[in-house]
Amino acid sequence: MKLARSSRRIKLAVSLITVAVLAGCASVSVEQNLKRVNEEASEFTDGQLALARSAEDHAKRNEVAAKLLSAPVKQKEAVQLALVNSYSLQALLAQGWYESADAAQSGRISNPIFSFERMVAGDELELSRALSFGLLDVLTIPARQGIAERRIEQSQLRLTSEVVDHVTRVRQAWVRAVAAQQSLAYAKQVLESAEASAELARRMQSVGNFNRISRAREQAFYADAATRLATASHQATSTREELVRLLGLNESQAQVLQLPERLPDLPKQALDPSAVGKIATKSRIDIRLAQTSLEGAAKSQGLSNVTSFTDIELTARRNTKIDNATGTRSDPRGYEIGIRLPIFDWGGMQRDAWNARTISAANQLEATIRSAGSSLRESYSAYRTSYEIARHYREEVVPLRRVISEENQLRYNGMIIGVFELLADSRDQINTVIAAINSEQQFWLADAALQASLIGRPTNTSLSVTTSAPSAGGAGH
Amino acid sequence: MTSRREFFKYAGIAGGAVAATAVSRVAMAALPEPVIQTSPQTMAPLVPSSGRPYNPVVTLNGWTLPWRMNQGVKEFHLVAEPVVREMAPGFKAHLWGYNGQSPGPTIEVVEGDRIRIFVTNKLPEHTSIHWHGQRLPNGMDGVAGLNQPAIAPGKTFVYEFVARRPGTFMYHPHADEMVQMAMGMMGFWVTHPKEKNPLIDEVQRDFCFLLNAYDIDPGSYTPKIMTMLDFNLWSWNSRIFPGIDTLNVRLNDKVRIRVGNLTMTNHPIHVHGHEFTITGTDGGPTPKSTRWPEVTTDIAVGQMRQIEFVADEEGDWAFHCHKSHHTMNAMGHAVPTLIGVDHTGIAKKINKLIPDYMVMGERGMADMTEMEMPIPDNTAPMMTGEGPFGSVEMGGMFSVLKVRKDQKPGDYKDPGWYKHPKGTVAHEYSGPLTEPARFKAEGGQSMPRIQKSAQPTEVQVRKPTSHKDH
Repeated sequence: MKLARSSRRIKLAVSLITVAVLAGCASVSVEQNLKRVNEEASEFTDGQLALARSAEDHAKRNEVAAKLLSAPVKQKEAVQLALVNSYSLQALLAQGWYESADAAQSGRISNPIFSFERMVAGDELELSRALSFGLLDVLTIPARQGIAERRIEQSQLRLTSEVVDHVTRVRQAWVRAVAAQQSLAYAKQVLESAEASAELARRMQSVGNFNRISRAREQAFYADAATRLATASHQATSTREELVRLLGLNESQAQVLQLPERLPDLPKQALDPSAVGKIATKSRIDIRLAQTSLEGAAKSQGLSNVTSFTDIELTARRNTKIDNATGTRSDPRGYEIGIRLPIFDWGGMQRDAWNARTISAANQLEATIRSAGSSLRESYSAYRTSYEIARHYREEVVPLRRVISEENQLRYNGMIIGVFELLADSRDQINTVIAAINSEQQFWLADAALQASLIGRPTNTSLSVTTSAPSAGGAGH
Repeated sequence: MTSRREFFKYAGIAGGAVAATAVSRVAMAALPEPVIQTSPQTMAPLVPSSGRPYNPVVTLNGWTLPWRMNQGVKEFHLVAEPVVREMAPGFKAHLWGYNGQSPGPTIEVVEGDRIRIFVTNKLPEHTSIHWHGQRLPNGMDGVAGLNQPAIAPGKTFVYEFVARRPGTFMYHPHADEMVQMAMGMMGFWVTHPKEKNPLIDEVQRDFCFLLNAYDIDPGSYTPKIMTMLDFNLWSWNSRIFPGIDTLNVRLNDKVRIRVGNLTMTNHPIHVHGHEFTITGTDGGPTPKSTRWPEVTTDIAVGQMRQIEFVADEEGDWAFHCHKSHHTMNAMGHAVPTLIGVDHTGIAKKINKLIPDYMVMGERGMADMTEMEMPIPDNTAPMMTGEGPFGSVEMGGMFSVLKVRKDQKPGDYKDPGWYKHPKGTVAHEYSGPLTEPARFKAEGGQSMPRIQKSAQPTEVQVRKPTSHKDH
């Protein structure tokens, strides 16, 4: 009897230890989370993420940010800056941490309940101690462990995906800001040309060489150019501010932010489809996310098949009964099993819900796999098309405009055309340059979108049409 | 850009190759060998070595077609073909012409000659030749469709008639005429008198040329054939100043100049330093009673004029069309007038955008010749020509009549610039200037306007200033 009792004790201890060990496995730390994100996305972000938790951390980050801000911020530096400086990213990291922690929590069994009872009845004193825990809780530990792991994985993947999205938005905002700033410089030139035309026309009229209508035409173009410059100027401000927000710059940081004068040159060669295909077959975040959620759902379903029916509570009890009258004392011990009776709720709805959740996740996975290929093809098409267009601008359109301008200069020299035609042509040329900048902008936006698509966070890529609008101020014919 | 060689290659494919296959060698052997001339220089007069003698003409920047006598008939061979004509140094045009040139060679015959002309078509399309002003059998008049079938590419036709009256004539196509004339197909024809004619004087120098016009976009080579009136190149024998040779004569030579107009507008041809009389038209020599002295004669479209004078004033005398835009080369008609417009500050602003920009026309157009800036390829500047005292600022229909004491008879060589006797050149006056008495005119408008105009504009004319700031 004693032997049997002690072996029971041992068993209980072992199972408690096992529980503790298993519960310990499902823990997660912020460092683990960051490590995971950095592993997944370091190639994409080209940098490391860290969650700042102390004043020291913040000071260090400020230092790095200040260093990055001391020179014109290129695209790569913009991403670095976002990594160290953006509070939105920090918030994301913290969020990822608590989600993982929550997930880990779900993999642990609930703590056992110890209850102590003291009952006095006359001379009798009864002390009862009970240690109870959900039996199913313990029995399903391995299952719940698995679910928790999936949920942690899921939250980590989701975090990576969010980081990728943020970085993509930083890249695109940077491209827009630089392009807008570049276009603004050219819009100023258009205005200058229009201003020269208008002023010349005014002087022409004042000495009697132009009539009102001829002068008004030149003046009208100038007036129009001024509006366009104002729009371009706002565009430059708004795109810059969007970048400032994504980089999380404060007032003083925003003031020192300098951007390069121009967008980077186009790569010598566009990525070819087979290279893109090769990169893409490496596990995409969106597919893995869908996969883990399916696995999680499947596991949960298995578990809920059991847990939905009922709940079993096991209680180990040891009482001490002292009869002061007789001076006797007895120690009865035993156990108690409590079962929740499935009378009102047979758990059918719960099982249905889990079932549906699994079906949904399975379909979601299939849908993700299917759309992954499609969205990648679309991203690649946007990337490739914008590359070809930008290159066409660089190699065909702009040089042609230059030839036209050179020839117009010669024609002006030969008094075949007049100064107003020459100025109108210079405006056309500038407009072409602006269109070329737009085409480069489109390419770099598509490039960022493709990178995001490849890692598995598809971004909307829509190409806008870039045309070089001919100047409104035609020469005096 | 098409090189001359490539152009010929193309021309060969278009016309020549067709001709080579379509015209049999045997047939060609029976024809007089076609003579080709590619130099645009004025050729020495062709003194006749067979047939009746006559006093040959000199074709300005052209030549006379040699012939062969065949049993008393003068036989010529004209080949209609694409040609490259240097219209001025540095500017070549892709034209259609005859025997290597546009215009074609001058045909010189004598009154009463029987003439047989073989015409071989090496053009990509059919053609015909009309002998402008000649008395001839109707079937020889050359209007395709009306008098004869058109000469298909590669075919050779023969025209035969007697040169019945002496005078100044020309030839040109009368099939797809607008295109073929716009492309430069034309030539001169002179019928010399058989014997002394009371209305035709003996002359020591006899020049001839055709007025023609082209519309060639600056930088291109081929004329625009659909242009109706707005031609941009006004030429004499498909040459433009400074590409037109001078007319070099000996002092006191009697000079005859024959001019035919195949442009689409009239040209008042003007000679400096002498008066001339019109001694002939397309209709023949004019009666003496109709002649009066002139310094300018208007030559209408499709007309010929024969002017004569004694070159008795030594010097370099301008000789040109008096429509001043016709003494300009290609120019823009929409170029605004900038005279008097202050460019202060604007030039700098424009330079920022267009670094090569220079202000021109602020004081007039003469800037053009002073600055010598690069212009489109294959284009003659609007005005140019360096004379002994600076630029003559001319283009188009302009040349110089050079009268020299020491020019040898029959010598057509350019004697160089005239050396003015001391004190005979206009010069800057350096003496005192006194305000001349001026007459203050009274009166006003004979019929004043009822509706008064708005505030009169005060015109502030900028006085000429230095040219340093450009």
